[in-house]
Amino acid sequence: MTKDNFLELLAETIDTEMELEETTLLDEIDEYDSIAVLSLMSLYDELNVKVSPRDFENLKVVADLIELAGEKIE
Amino acid sequence: MAKLHFDNIDIKAVVTTVGDKRVTIEEEAHNFGYDEKMIKRLKKRMGFNSRYVVSGDTCTSDLCVQSAEKIFEKFDKSRVEALLFVSQTPDYKAPSTAIIMQDRLGLSKDTIAYDINLGCSGFINGLLNAYSLINSGLESVLLCVGDVASRFSYYQDKNLTPLMGDGGSAILIEKGKGSGDFVLHSDGSGYRHLIIPDGGCRNPFSEESLKPKEFEDGIRRGIDMYMNGGEIFNFTLKVVPNMFDELFEFSKTPKDNIDYFVLHQANRYILQNIAKKLELTEDRLPMSTMTIYGNQNSASIAGTINGFLSDKFSQNSIKALFAGFGIGLSWGACLVDIDKIYAPEIQIYKRGE
Repeated sequence: MTKDNFLELLAETIDTEMELEETTLLDEIDEYDSIAVLSLMSLYDELNVKVSPRDFENLKVVADLIELAGEKIE
Repeated sequence: MAKLHFDNIDIKAVVTTVGDKRVTIEEEAHNFGYDEKMIKRLKKRMGFNSRYVVSGDTCTSDLCVQSAEKIFEKFDKSRVEALLFVSQTPDYKAPSTAIIMQDRLGLSKDTIAYDINLGCSGFINGLLNAYSLINSGLESVLLCVGDVASRFSYYQDKNLTPLMGDGGSAILIEKGKGSGDFVLHSDGSGYRHLIIPDGGCRNPFSEESLKPKEFEDGIRRGIDMYMNGGEIFNFTLKVVPNMFDELFEFSKTPKDNIDYFVLHQANRYILQNIAKKLELTEDRLPMSTMTIYGNQNSASIAGTINGFLSDKFSQNSIKALFAGFGIGLSWGACLVDIDKIYAPEIQIYKRGE
């Protein structure tokens, strides 16, 4: 998946209408909360990326979410 | 993995009674600090809508007694030789509620009666106990399962409370022609993720236990249930699909030969994820119980049969997969071959009866 596609998918998963960029601070996304994290865990699970809730604890920016997906993102 | 196979056992009846008070997420959103946008999101993502809870001091046993009495309108209660009560909300800390129910239901004093403390996986473990007793020679076992979760979830706990509904089911299991295959697991390393911390011997009840405390994910007291939603969701994604594979293999039954997948109704979102992995649709894997009634803990599988599959289970012989997963952590599944059963639609609790 390309980075742009993944950014769109992230916005849809988090339920935000914000245009996400790699530098967007997660704190600035109103909808980035515990429900968003559940939805993200489900998204990573579908991509066969192993994550745990603790992986989300210290993330700062959208780029961290991309990094978590690892090699699945081109 | 514990694996068990049984022959010559049938489920004869399933009846579920739910709390008499229906509350919608809109009505109680102010308790959780949810605005309209958040309500919309919770409805869409998690399937929140309404839940049926008890009013006043109704206990799980009251719901189960109403369910059992409905069964005894059709079946002879003098045949019952054991009564099992699976719940986390007993009448008293001691003695076992099942024993009190033996008397309330007018069952013989020759009845075996004991409680089993389990939640989400309680239906499977309860059914396993019932099948084991029949396999050991008993003719008829009454299994009662359920919880009044509204009585251990704090009204301002936005994380847990809007999920929970109250239900008590009775299931009659007898010698017959059917079969059952079970797989079960436990992992106590995750016990902290779903827990009522106070009131046992580890943290005895104290004045402190009654003080509401504010956490990031809601307000609750020591005597209330705490849930780490992320950990539980993650656990479910990891273990449930594997457990299905184990059961397909152990029972030598391919997925396509199974009529219905009746799962613990944790929430719609978890079930959608499981259904997607199994490539199943809602007509074979119902997932709306929590949306209408709330998560009924150990009664949610029976509650789904009565709530959504009443006609199907009443009219046909069925091959059904049941699966429960959650508090403990504990998870289990079984595949049963059963003839048509008595499975009326959901009953609403009648207070004072």
